[in-house]
Amino acid sequence: MGMEERILIVEDDADTAAAVRAEVEALGCSADHCDTLDAGIAAAISTPYKVIVLDRMLPGGDGVEAMARIRAGGSTALILILSALGRAANRVEGLEKGADDYLPKPFEPEELRARLRALLRRGTMQVLDNDLLAFGDLEIRMKARTVHVKRAHVAVSPKEFELIIYFARNAGQVVTRMQLLENVWNLHFDPGTNVVDVHVGRLRRKLEDAGSAAITTARGEGYFFAPLGAAG
Amino acid sequence: MTTARPLAARATLRLAALMALAVTILSLGAMALQYRLVETRMMAAQRSLLTADLDGFAALYDQRRIIALRQAIDYRAAAETGEEMLLLMDRNGAVLAGTLPGWPKGLTPEGDGFAIDGAVEFQDGGARWLAVARELPGGFPLLVARSLHPVDDTLAALRRGMLGLLAAMLVAGGVVGWLAARSVMGRIGRINDLADRVAEGELEARLPGDRSDDEFGLLETHVHGMLDRIQNLNRATHRLSDTIAHELRTPLNRMLQKLSRIEGQEDVTADLKAEMRQAIRMFDSLLDISRAEADQGSGGGLVPVDLSAVALEVWELYEPLAEDKGMVTEAQVQPGLRVLGDRNLIAQMLSNLIDNAIKYCSAGDRLSLLLEDTGDRHLMRVADTGPGLPADIRGEAFERFVRAERDRGIKGHGLGLALVRAIAARHGARMTLPEADIGLVLEIHWPRLQQAE
Repeated sequence: MGMEERILIVEDDADTAAAVRAEVEALGCSADHCDTLDAGIAAAISTPYKVIVLDRMLPGGDGVEAMARIRAGGSTALILILSALGRAANRVEGLEKGADDYLPKPFEPEELRARLRALLRRGTMQVLDNDLLAFGDLEIRMKARTVHVKRAHVAVSPKEFELIIYFARNAGQVVTRMQLLENVWNLHFDPGTNVVDVHVGRLRRKLEDAGSAAITTARGEGYFFAPLGAAG
Repeated sequence: MTTARPLAARATLRLAALMALAVTILSLGAMALQYRLVETRMMAAQRSLLTADLDGFAALYDQRRIIALRQAIDYRAAAETGEEMLLLMDRNGAVLAGTLPGWPKGLTPEGDGFAIDGAVEFQDGGARWLAVARELPGGFPLLVARSLHPVDDTLAALRRGMLGLLAAMLVAGGVVGWLAARSVMGRIGRINDLADRVAEGELEARLPGDRSDDEFGLLETHVHGMLDRIQNLNRATHRLSDTIAHELRTPLNRMLQKLSRIEGQEDVTADLKAEMRQAIRMFDSLLDISRAEADQGSGGGLVPVDLSAVALEVWELYEPLAEDKGMVTEAQVQPGLRVLGDRNLIAQMLSNLIDNAIKYCSAGDRLSLLLEDTGDRHLMRVADTGPGLPADIRGEAFERFVRAERDRGIKGHGLGLALVRAIAARHGARMTLPEADIGLVLEIHWPRLQQAE
């Protein structure tokens, strides 16, 4: 991540705040913590944070309603809502009102870490709208919507193409099933079945058949896209 | 909704007409009674006048027979009052004295006394007369009659008056009834409009202004009381789901954080995490169901959604899962069908249905999705050739926590179909379970989006 990034945690439950802080620090960032909404908004406006982890049912109000005030105060931080209001409808509402990501409680630390990483990366990542994404042997052409491994064409379905694009945008880091479901399928509920696994499995086999082991499983966490063999 | 108002109007108008009619009939009865009374009294008066005449003539006859009678009749006839008719004839039919040139037709002399008994009414010269016709001993026909003209005039005047009154009463009754019906209609119409708005989901709708101090005011107060209660319950449902979420998820969250710190027992912690996820899914489903039920019928929060696109997305998400299980899949989705809905809820519903079907089917079973326009509705059908619903739970398969004994071994919480039903109801869609020879067939009939705007 280069320079140390600052992350603001606005959370009234001390245990949760500590868990979030642990993840933030594990990512090499520094964390500030506020336990009321007003203090959180004041901090968000006065300090240039990279990411704000914002609770909803806080003393002082709802974090989702406060996003407009944070934005109006000039903050350009990416906002991750971390809330017990975790039903699909709540999540969609939060995202529609401008949150960059929405993670329901209870959350697994790995999930939070993956989300934070994706947000931190989104801030620094170069714009990905150039036509060719090349990862060594693996080439993705955005306009033609084609995938080549070692110059050989790999036939992928439209959904598989979107899947590989999402992986490519998050290359080198773990992405979770929930992230895939939300970002590739735009579905904000837990289907209960690991339906995503089947799709990733198919894409993975196609790439493997063509000679690329780009997608690997991160046990208990999700998937890892490391086309240059940087997995570890 | 639009047919309700003319119906109510008809009821009130009917009531007004009935009241006007009842009042008119009662007054008509009273007037008829009065009419009869007047008629009887006046007839009695004429009769007593005639009796007096006859008594006079009888006294004269007693003294000097025909001679006296003839003189008296001559004298009386000279007065020409027009009120009486007198005639005395001899046995040859010649007029001895009287007001008439000859015996009136249709009148036969009967008896020979001067008693009033046997007096008859007859018509002469366009007027009614009360007459006593006799043949006095020796063959002298005598006619003594009194005109009923004053009686008839009075009665005619009375009838005219009554008819006028009747007409006035009908008009007044009609006008009053119409005014009453209009005011009743107006006030019932207000309440009906309110009920319509509430039925369309506008739970906060109320009648403006003060409640009047009458039955309608009371009705409006009662309706408002009911609406307040419904709204409070609805608010409580919404608040409760947020509170449950917060109060239950926060400790679960701490548990999960602590669980993640346990090292060296990955299998156990993974199992525990899966159990927790399952529990969260379960109460999320419960909250989703009660929220969908609370929002049922309200269009709030629903936007135009491409049902075909959502159906295809969910289908494509699950199709590989079914294929991997060795099932035969088929989807027929007519493109471009739109409904007023919540994309996420629709996806959740369809995902529940398809996930269920895949869960209960085995290799070789068929799974199909159909979506087509059937005219007034969009038909969505999910059909499989799996074990179907056991007959004993078929009736309540959509209730919460209903699961077949047979399926105890399969993971699930018995909320999937209840959520499907709640989401269908939230969208005003009708759900049916058509009889199938094999497997489970479920049809959802979506109200199509009005393309007007």
